[in-house]
Amino acid sequence: MQPLRIALAQIAPRLGLLDENLARHRDLIDEARGQGAGLVVFPELGLTGYLLQDLASEVAMRLDDPRLAKLAGATTGLSAIVSFVEESADHRLFIAAALIEDGEIIHVQRKLFLPTYGLFDERRFFAAGDVLRAVPSRLGVGLGIAICEDFWHLSVPQVLALDGAQVLVNVSSSPGRDLASTNEVGLGTATSWQTLMRTYAQLTTSFVVFCNRVGVDESISFWGGSEVIGPSGEVVWQGPLYDEGLFTVDVSLADVRRERISLPLLRDERPELQLRELQRIVAERAGLAPDSTAETGAEAGLDLAPPAKVSPAIGFRSRR
Amino acid sequence: MKGASPEPRTSGGAEAAASLFELPPERAIDTRVARRVIGEFIRGQLRQAGFERAVLGLSGGIDSALVAYLTAEATGAERLLCVLMPYHTSSPASRADAEEVVRRLGAASELVDISPMVDGYFGADSDASSLRRGNFMARMRMAVLYDRSVTWGGLVVGTSNKTESLIGYTTLFGDSACAFNPIGDLYKSQVRQLAQEMGVPETIIRKAPSADLWPGQTDEAEANFTYPQLDRLLYWRIDKRRSVEEVVALGFDRELVERVDRMVAGSEFKRQVPPIAKLGPRTAGIDYLYPRRRPGSARR
Repeated sequence: MQPLRIALAQIAPRLGLLDENLARHRDLIDEARGQGAGLVVFPELGLTGYLLQDLASEVAMRLDDPRLAKLAGATTGLSAIVSFVEESADHRLFIAAALIEDGEIIHVQRKLFLPTYGLFDERRFFAAGDVLRAVPSRLGVGLGIAICEDFWHLSVPQVLALDGAQVLVNVSSSPGRDLASTNEVGLGTATSWQTLMRTYAQLTTSFVVFCNRVGVDESISFWGGSEVIGPSGEVVWQGPLYDEGLFTVDVSLADVRRERISLPLLRDERPELQLRELQRIVAERAGLAPDSTAETGAEAGLDLAPPAKVSPAIGFRSRR
Repeated sequence: MKGASPEPRTSGGAEAAASLFELPPERAIDTRVARRVIGEFIRGQLRQAGFERAVLGLSGGIDSALVAYLTAEATGAERLLCVLMPYHTSSPASRADAEEVVRRLGAASELVDISPMVDGYFGADSDASSLRRGNFMARMRMAVLYDRSVTWGGLVVGTSNKTESLIGYTTLFGDSACAFNPIGDLYKSQVRQLAQEMGVPETIIRKAPSADLWPGQTDEAEANFTYPQLDRLLYWRIDKRRSVEEVVALGFDRELVERVDRMVAGSEFKRQVPPIAKLGPRTAGIDYLYPRRRPGSARR
């Protein structure tokens, strides 16, 4: 299998300036092609900037938008993952990442998990995607695309790997916070992400490609630190914190086969077991089935009984 | 403060800093990362607003000195105007310290004596309390800075730190007024740590923090606590969401905890934009939500 050259565009998008960001993307795609890259990855909302609030509807594009078609036209001979606000036919706004190859949009992944806590307010402005699929690519491997917060949910990398992804790509706009001298990189956010990515690469025996933006939107600074992790969890490449740049990394996709032969975790996965247990848990949490593992007296859908002697508000009566 | 508390790992930097000031170990930051983030922040704020220059009030204290160093590093000292705005009772030592900062940075500076403005208003009103006079001085300085913002063509950079903002030790529309604030999320101890990293003169780092509103005033004597103590308490109560009982168990004095809680709650209004009565379909800050800097917002 040919080595694959991946280009990571660790850029600082201009907030709300779609045309300017589109032009920058086209330039960087050309530059990546010039450097022999087969895949070029841009960060979450690289075409629009992150902290859009009510600007979201103003920069949203339908998938048939001529500006996207023009951008796709720049991808002759390579694969690119770009991210933008997608407006669906029924006028929902999604944070989306598209795989574009040879002028065509091959696949669109809509962000599944919208953080709406702490400094995040995504659910206010966006709809959550409902579909998670790996996609075969012209690179000869399956790609699994996830957007930022999607990687803070275990099911996402696992489903993507089970669905055939050998390269998991996370595109992010991760704000740096928790400045501390008590960890090696001086930034709590970076430490957390690095731990996740090594773990996912190892457990899914896949490459993990992380492309995070830099720059400042309002109060928040994005920390970059893009990475490529190999299928045994080792760091293949680590980008700088806060520096903008187009970085290329060569990976040997044969590493996936080697790792999966020697450590056949994916072979041994039991999706049918998970499915059965998840179906049970979903039914129990919905109050549609008695919870076999709940404390006596617990309300339907909850595993723990109320502290005082009160009757459950809804659902099944306790088994006394 | 008494009793033991969790002792996280500390960096060598934090230990080396111990000679100049007390740094609670859990508040030590990686100053290189802080410097980098703040530099990008300052450049980003200016660029997005269509400005290249900045202006700030330099008191001779550590907060404004640090912001001057950070801004000079981010933009180049030639784009920074430091305005010294003493009142006639202000400490001459403060002014000397401010002048030393200007000299070391090579930034532009101006001296504006606010005494005529303040005395012109209060006149012979000898009943005016120190608090009224102090707040008025802070607002006169704000007025001068915003006027200089026009003549210099630069944005006003804020210099309030997180500790004083949380306890409300600021003047509303006075020292808290600014276009952006690079150090508003740094506790006083972290300001000291970063100031040392940036090379702020040691005399400024060592001296007792003071609003310099009357001779001999110091923050810590006025409020009856020390900054390292207060920073640790605020960190555990606010950043780490510990309850009163939990911080008392960490060794903090209950009376102090309750007093600081009241100060934080009582100054909530100083940290927020004033509420607008909701009447129309779309109201700024409620359901009309745009980034401050959006396409078309930059000065042309």
